[in-house]
Order: sequence, then structure tokens, then C-alpha cells
Amino acid sequence: MSSKRIPRIGIGGPVGSGKTMLIEQIVPILSDRGYRAGIISNDVVSREDADRMRRNLASERGLMSEDLVIGLATGGCPHTAVREDPSMNISVVEEMELKHNDLDMIIIESGGDNITTTFSPALADYFIYIIDVSGGDKYPRKRGLGIESCDLLVMNKIDLAQYVGADLSIMERDAQAVRENKPYVLVNCRTGQGVKEVTEHIIRDFLFESPPKAVAKNRV
Amino acid sequence: MSIEKEISVDEISILQLSDSFFPTGMYATSSGLEALFYSKKIKDVNELRDLIKVYVENQIGPTDCTALGNSYEYAKRADLKRLIEADQTIFSMKLIQEIRETSTRSGTQLLRCMSYFITDNELLNKYQEAIKNRQASGVYPVALAVASSTLNIPKRKAGLMMIYAFSVSIVGAALRLGMLQHFDGQKIIHELKPNILETVNNNIDRPLMSMWQFAPGIDIVQIAHERMASKMFIT
Repeated sequence: MSSKRIPRIGIGGPVGSGKTMLIEQIVPILSDRGYRAGIISNDVVSREDADRMRRNLASERGLMSEDLVIGLATGGCPHTAVREDPSMNISVVEEMELKHNDLDMIIIESGGDNITTTFSPALADYFIYIIDVSGGDKYPRKRGLGIESCDLLVMNKIDLAQYVGADLSIMERDAQAVRENKPYVLVNCRTGQGVKEVTEHIIRDFLFESPPKAVAKNRV
Repeated sequence: MSIEKEISVDEISILQLSDSFFPTGMYATSSGLEALFYSKKIKDVNELRDLIKVYVENQIGPTDCTALGNSYEYAKRADLKRLIEADQTIFSMKLIQEIRETSTRSGTQLLRCMSYFITDNELLNKYQEAIKNRQASGVYPVALAVASSTLNIPKRKAGLMMIYAFSVSIVGAALRLGMLQHFDGQKIIHELKPNILETVNNNIDRPLMSMWQFAPGIDIVQIAHERMASKMFIT
């Protein structure tokens, strides 16, 4: 129903893998570069993630207005909400597009396990899948739709590798093999290590280096 | 073979629109049941069945089913003005904000999906245009009426589809909340069949302005659910 589609990033990953923290890290970097984002958070059992992002990114840091962070309940089926039946997400995205057509992107977060989580192309144009190393270094090798099909694979909590016996070189090797050299990034969302590289992928591979809308408008 | 020949494409359309695989997002709603689950107000499967009867007979039946019946007639006559009136009336009767929004989102997405494979129906296109121009909301019973009329699904069967799907959505929510087991869910649906039929028969042909609802206990539960900080379902 919207007049112009705003580019949409889907960020998926298992519960506790660091999706919310990744968003909290990339939004300020994108904001520094002039890019404005809205966020839709598909929660499994609470609005906690949406409330946290609203507080951190909107109320405290003023990087966006509070109505640009929306929490959405999924009836316990986050996979369905972003893949088989994304109706509710699409409706909320379109409402956001109508109200805030000056946004550069809309970020859609959803929990979901490694086997089935993907985003419908009708919902998201670019798909980031995030896992954490504490699941073991076998994780990329075991494949799954999320790991194989995402546009960018993010492997988080690399600081924990030494404590859980995960070999990062094995994870990198297997990620390259199963993803046929599509990009991946090793990150530590707690310290911000590797996060800038994620935003560079977003600007280059997803936005194709387009300038922020506000900048483009001023040029005209 | 003769029986198979009597089955029309329109009947397959009934199966398509009533299938939970059809994308309307309704699987994410519990109509407030989740609040009752956490407050331990539902003791057993029989109480759950009786609760769904109240939902159907006192809330959805005399509102959504009547709105659907009238909207279906307006859609058949291609009377967009009356259709928009019905849309605005049923929208204003939904007391809980989250239920209003969800009904509107489901209805709008139903129409969008329909117009992906039905591109030449004038009323379908005009109603969507009215939603885009904010003259109408796209609330679910009216959207389903337009969709059913477009696919030549008979009015009464459209009513059955809607009340059945609503009942199944609550049973599905109860199943995911762990309130019952899968065989119990099917038993409840079976036992509700006479109530679903009677509700449709009582409400599908009534005038739009005779819509009513009286389920204050459920209204309060739905308000409480809407305000819950931690929840799995949309109200």
C-alpha cells in the first residue's frame, strides 16, 4: 500500500545469539554516517528486546524517535512470522513506510533456529544471520537454511571461543565452504569488535553505496 | 466420477481461503486467551470449549458475522459506498485497539494476496483504493466478504469459514500454550460445530445496524492481555 518501498534488512538468529545487541551496535554507526533506520522486533514471548532498543537508541541516545521501534508478538512462531506468513510484519513495515518515508532502511529482527530461519523476499531485501561461537565450532559445518542462504553470516561472541573450546579457524573455514565464499564476519558485539565491518557490508552490498536520503535531498 | 464432476472451482476456493496456510497472520492471535492461561482461570478442556462458545456467540457472531453478511451483499451489488459504511461501522465496534489493528492488518493482507492472483475485479480494486486513501480500514470481515464474493463463495459458507477459522485460532493458541493436547483440540472443534452453524444462521442475514456484542468479562480479559508486558500472542 505504500508509495515507495524502503530497503529492508532481516536479522535472524537463535535466541541469545546477539541479534538485539548487533542492532544496538550498528544503528549508531549508521546514524553517524547519516543513515536513519526504523526497527521491528519479532519477540517470542516478550517485548523486552523492543523496549530495550527503544530505551537505548531512542529515549537515551536520541538516534531515532520512539515510534520507530516496534515490538511484534508472533504467537510463538517467529519463523512463520518472517517466512511462511509475513502478513503482520508486512503490514507494520508498510505503516512505518507511510509515516516515515524519509527512512533509509527498516531493520526486522526475528528469533529462529539455524535449520529453518530465513526471511521471505517479500519482507526483507537483505538477510543477516547471526550465530554465536558458544554453540560450538561445528555450527557452520552443520549447515541449515539460515547459515547457507543469508547474505551475511555474523559469528558473535568470539571472545568466548577459548572458554568453550571453539576453534575460530574451523568456523571460518567451514563458513567459507558451505557458503561458497559469500561473506561472513567475526564479531564481539559486547566490545564492538568487527561491527564496523558489518555496517560496511550493509552500506556496500545492501544500499549499494547510496547516500543517506537526508544528504541526497540537501544536494538537490 | 459424477461426484467429482459436481465439485466446482468455487468450492476449492473455500478450501483455499479457510486453510491456515493462507497468509493473514491470524496464527499470532489468541483473542486474550493467553491472559486467562497465565491467571490460571481456565481449569480444563470443557471450560475452554465453553469459553470459545461465548466468544463466538456473544462477540464475533453478532458483530463480524453480521458485518460479513451485509458486506457480502454490498460487494455482490458492487455498492462501494455501503461497503465503506460497513467497514467503518464494524471497525468502530471493536473495543480493543490491538484487536482493531490486527483485524485491519489481516484484512488488508488478505486483499493484497487476493489481488496478486485476481487482477481484474473492479470492486476488489476499488475497495483497496479506498483503504489506501484512508476512507476504509480493511477490517477483516469486510475484506473476507469482498474476497468471498470475488471467488463466488456463497455468503453462508463465507460466514462458516470465518467463525470456524476464529474458533481454530483459539484452539491453536491453547495448544501452543500447552493448555490441551492435540486430540483434545480436535474434539473441541468437533463439539463446536453446532454452535458455529447456529451462530452463522442467527447472524449472517441480520441488518448491519442490529449488530451487538455482550461479553464484558472477555472485554476485560482482552484489555488486560493487551497491556501485558510479556506475551507470546497479539491480543
